[in-house]
Amino acid sequence: MRTDYLPYDLKTLWKEMEMSPPVFSPDQLRKEADKLRAGLSRRSIIGGGAAWFVIAAFVVFFFIFSNALERIGSALTVLGAGYMLVQLRLRPARVLPDVGEAGGVQFYRGELERQRDFHRGSWFWSRLLILLPGPIIFMMGFVQVFPDAAPFMWLDLAALLVLAVLAVPLNLRLARRYQRRIDLLDASQKGS
Amino acid sequence: MKPQDAARPGQDESYRQAVSEYGAALERLAHAYEADPDRRRDLLQEIHLALWRSFEKFDGRCSLRTWIYRVAHNVATSHVIRQSRWKRNTAAYLTLEEAEAQASRENVEVSADRRQALARLLALIHRLDLVDRQVILAYLEDLDAESIGEITGLSAANVWTRVHRIKNLLVRQFHTGVGDAN
Repeated sequence: MRTDYLPYDLKTLWKEMEMSPPVFSPDQLRKEADKLRAGLSRRSIIGGGAAWFVIAAFVVFFFIFSNALERIGSALTVLGAGYMLVQLRLRPARVLPDVGEAGGVQFYRGELERQRDFHRGSWFWSRLLILLPGPIIFMMGFVQVFPDAAPFMWLDLAALLVLAVLAVPLNLRLARRYQRRIDLLDASQKGS
Repeated sequence: MKPQDAARPGQDESYRQAVSEYGAALERLAHAYEADPDRRRDLLQEIHLALWRSFEKFDGRCSLRTWIYRVAHNVATSHVIRQSRWKRNTAAYLTLEEAEAQASRENVEVSADRRQALARLLALIHRLDLVDRQVILAYLEDLDAESIGEITGLSAANVWTRVHRIKNLLVRQFHTGVGDAN
């Protein structure tokens, strides 16, 4: 049995790994940082633009349509899109925080909590409960006014509801997976 | 130029110094967190970017080495979690207990050469949960328990326990039967 590569030699083995470290100059990194910021702003602009588009369209619908359900649906959709705009303002796309200040375990736990909360916290439920009712009520009103469009609209509505219903267990399952990692992490630190 | 684009005095110099001393270690670290070469290149760039930016805040309360490894491990941790959102199975990293159980089931042949040995070592590291990965990587970079504790936030005793267990796991992986290893 060869013993050249036993664990007592692993440090040497590890450091012998062939490396060709890329060279990044500070100027290059400054440009990358600018690109990153521009990308984040672009995402915010696109998200914000989409929300403004929805708001504009449903404000128009609110005044065009006289059916009560359509108007309620329009108003709720405008409120939902407005809520998304506020969230975009309050929770801008994130750049990694404090990567040098937090210890590895603390940072890891924080990232797991963030992922868990994305899938089960108020952010998840508010997205679902605030964005969904408006379009659903609007579609129901639309069917009342245009019965000929009913098959098409019911299909759309069914697809929307199926996706929404499926989103709940899928997201909760992901949240549980992150919670399990947090529990394991906590358990592994006990007795330290 | 926006205010955040302006480098803090010494930021560029600190970054250059960090890279000249730890550039190779950072690349090894990227290997340990990302197997795919393209994504590894992205991760490495992300680490360098975060490191350069972090020197805006570095105030010397911990050593430069601790700071650099914290930045690198934390960026890599974030990268792995982000990747695991899209790859269901990769989120299932092994705890040490699971890795030990698996090692005892596997009939691993002795490595024929250093390249294979290194591949096996990397494969094992890729399967470890992120905290254990941080610990073993710092150990492989020759850091002592106290320094590893500063980087990870674990107590020195916990670090030693983990290092000991991971080393035992490696012994089994490499079919040695050799006991203690430094």
